[in-house]
Amino acid sequence: MKEKTIYEHLRDKGLSRRDFMKLCGTIAGMMGLEFAPPVKALGKLTHPSPTEVVAQALKTKPRLPIIWLEFQDCAGCSEAISRSSSPSLGNLVLNDIAIEYHETLMAAAGFQAEKAKEECMRKYWGKYVLVVEGSPTLADDGIYCTVAGKSNLDLLKEAAAGAAAIIATGNCASFGGIPAARPNPTRACGVADLIKDKPVVNIPGCPAIPEVTTGTILHFLVMGELPKTDHFKRPLPFYGHTIHDHCLRRPFYEAGKFAESFDDEGARQGYCLYKLGCKGPTTYNACAALKWERGLSYPVQSGHPCLGCSEPHFWDGGGFYEGQSAPTIILDKVSTATLVGAGVAVGAALAGVNAVKKSRAKKTLKKAASPETGTEAETKKEA
Amino acid sequence: MDWTEILRFSRGPLLHVAMMIFIVGMSYRLVKVILLGWERDRAANKGSKLWGVILNYLKGLLVLPFIPWVRRTFRNNALTFIAGGLFHLSLFVVLAFGTAHILVWKSLFGISWKSLPTPVVAFFSAAGIISLIVLLINRLTHPVLKLLTKLPIWINWVMVFLPMITGFIMARHLWFRYEVIFSLHLISVSLLLIWIPLGRISHFLFYFFSKTIHGAQAGKRAIMP
Ligand code: HEM
Ligand code: HEM
Ligand code: SF4
Ligand code: SF4
Repeated sequence: MKEKTIYEHLRDKGLSRRDFMKLCGTIAGMMGLEFAPPVKALGKLTHPSPTEVVAQALKTKPRLPIIWLEFQDCAGCSEAISRSSSPSLGNLVLNDIAIEYHETLMAAAGFQAEKAKEECMRKYWGKYVLVVEGSPTLADDGIYCTVAGKSNLDLLKEAAAGAAAIIATGNCASFGGIPAARPNPTRACGVADLIKDKPVVNIPGCPAIPEVTTGTILHFLVMGELPKTDHFKRPLPFYGHTIHDHCLRRPFYEAGKFAESFDDEGARQGYCLYKLGCKGPTTYNACAALKWERGLSYPVQSGHPCLGCSEPHFWDGGGFYEGQSAPTIILDKVSTATLVGAGVAVGAALAGVNAVKKSRAKKTLKKAASPETGTEAETKKEA
Repeated sequence: MDWTEILRFSRGPLLHVAMMIFIVGMSYRLVKVILLGWERDRAANKGSKLWGVILNYLKGLLVLPFIPWVRRTFRNNALTFIAGGLFHLSLFVVLAFGTAHILVWKSLFGISWKSLPTPVVAFFSAAGIISLIVLLINRLTHPVLKLLTKLPIWINWVMVFLPMITGFIMARHLWFRYEVIFSLHLISVSLLLIWIPLGRISHFLFYFFSKTIHGAQAGKRAIMP
């Protein structure tokens, strides 16, 4: 039996054509379609409008199966999606545009849940998108994170084998995140460090911005491939600019007006947060452009410096409230004293050697200049 | 190896090691100079050593730079004098009043102060860079200077120029991704820190020795230093 297309599914649920087209427009916006030329995916040569491209895809494609696994994580990325201020849209994507297997959000539990996953994998082998939240752990064959008696490494390899594409959501799945912070006892790493034979896209963030995760899922659905990425496998439409590039406090940065503390006049005036530890200049993410809570605000706008949560090692990249230009390793007093001592010792030793040489040289010179010289010469002659 | 990783390395271990070498090296140089021993000054004390020292600093740092035409160095080569002075002033402003550098001092010594407005710092860093270029051209074209300038002096120039130019480019957000130019700035700063004890830029310390000793000698003889 042929599977129902997404459009048919939505129509059966009572969506009017008008609402469908509206939805397609919203989706096109979420994907940042204006960045991606849609021609190739649909085999057309003309440029249809983004909305038409989406509509075309939803009319012809069946729902996208998604398997969502969690490893070492806090479920914050799932929380962010399920509670984002556009829950209807998030729900719509996860329930009506995709068919999801999600360990945390699904109703089934225990063996039932395991069975559901296996069935889902078997049925859609080679077609599903694997979303990973949380970091895999390499230490001791992955025994520090197990589900249903299987190590996370086995679970990941098993699920990755049948995936058409993999989306690592959150900093943990992308780069190891907080579990990978020094000293990283479980040897947490990113999904892409382990899975080399499948297309992987990273949606780092803490949590990942929900609209970026759903936007990337939709991109795969509509275009049939993952979006173009940067060298960290982050989709360019969302990670092409730094927080600093689009920051609304930027004019204050350029003018050199900085908040010195969280409650001074500068902070109230909305001055730049660089001195309070802002990592915006080196952080590539869509916060400043997309914002959170349906464009309401984002951390820097609300008065908190950017933590750099979408970058590798963000947990070890210097203190959150330490200026970005501050060195990350600081010499303590004792080692400074030791170093000075070492320099002084070597200098003094060499100076000592010099002094001894000098006094010897002086003596020889004196001897040479003394009247005995003649006698010595005579002695030599005699000999 | 990507630039994020290189930046992590240069902000951490590289700068750390460079600072250690700088501290060991400068302590070593300092002790060696001090223990070279002083020539005994047998002149009778006709005035005040302290007064001589004070006069010498006043003259050298506060008065003469602003009425340079009384100086022979200025009359002989005004360009060296002006560009050299402007370079040192700019370096001081950028290092002491640039926001990023204040944060470095804060992390090292726990104290911080107000920064100057970015446009002012930007002006001085541009002035510093231009001065350095002028000094270089001067050295390349002046027949005597050219003969006097040996390899270590050319290296000095490069070592000072690189942090200045990378810092300026970074602060203006030109051409490079921020983490790339930030790494280049830190790598060049680290090279400079390692180079300083090895070469003549250690004059930032020894200058004060010669200034003090000359002042004291002149003071003892009750003559104008
Ligand atoms: C630990 C040492 C240092 C660190 C961490 C550091 C860091 C920085 C940073 C982050 C900026 C850019 C600020 C921004 O984006 O607005 C900067 C600018 C700059 N730095 Fe450094 N720097 C250091 C040492 C030096 C040294 C030794 C020199 C010169 C010899 C130097 C020269 C400059 C200059 C000229 C600028 C441009 C300032 C402007 O035009 O606004 N820096 N530095
Ligand atoms: C208290 C600090 C300093 C003082 C009082 C000072 C003083 C001087 C003086 C009097 C000269 C001219 C002497 C000569 O040409 O040999 C000079 C030249 C020079 N100084 Fe400094 N200096 C200081 C710090 C520094 C620092 C920190 C740097 C570099 C990071 C530096 C870089 C240079 C360079 C490159 C020249 C040669 C300029 C040329 O090509 O003519 N100075 N300095
Ligand atoms: S608050 Fe942060 S991101 Fe915004 S301008 Fe300042 S340094 Fe850049
Ligand atoms: S502002 Fe920075 S730390 Fe905060 S969520 Fe965005 S990228 Fe992460």
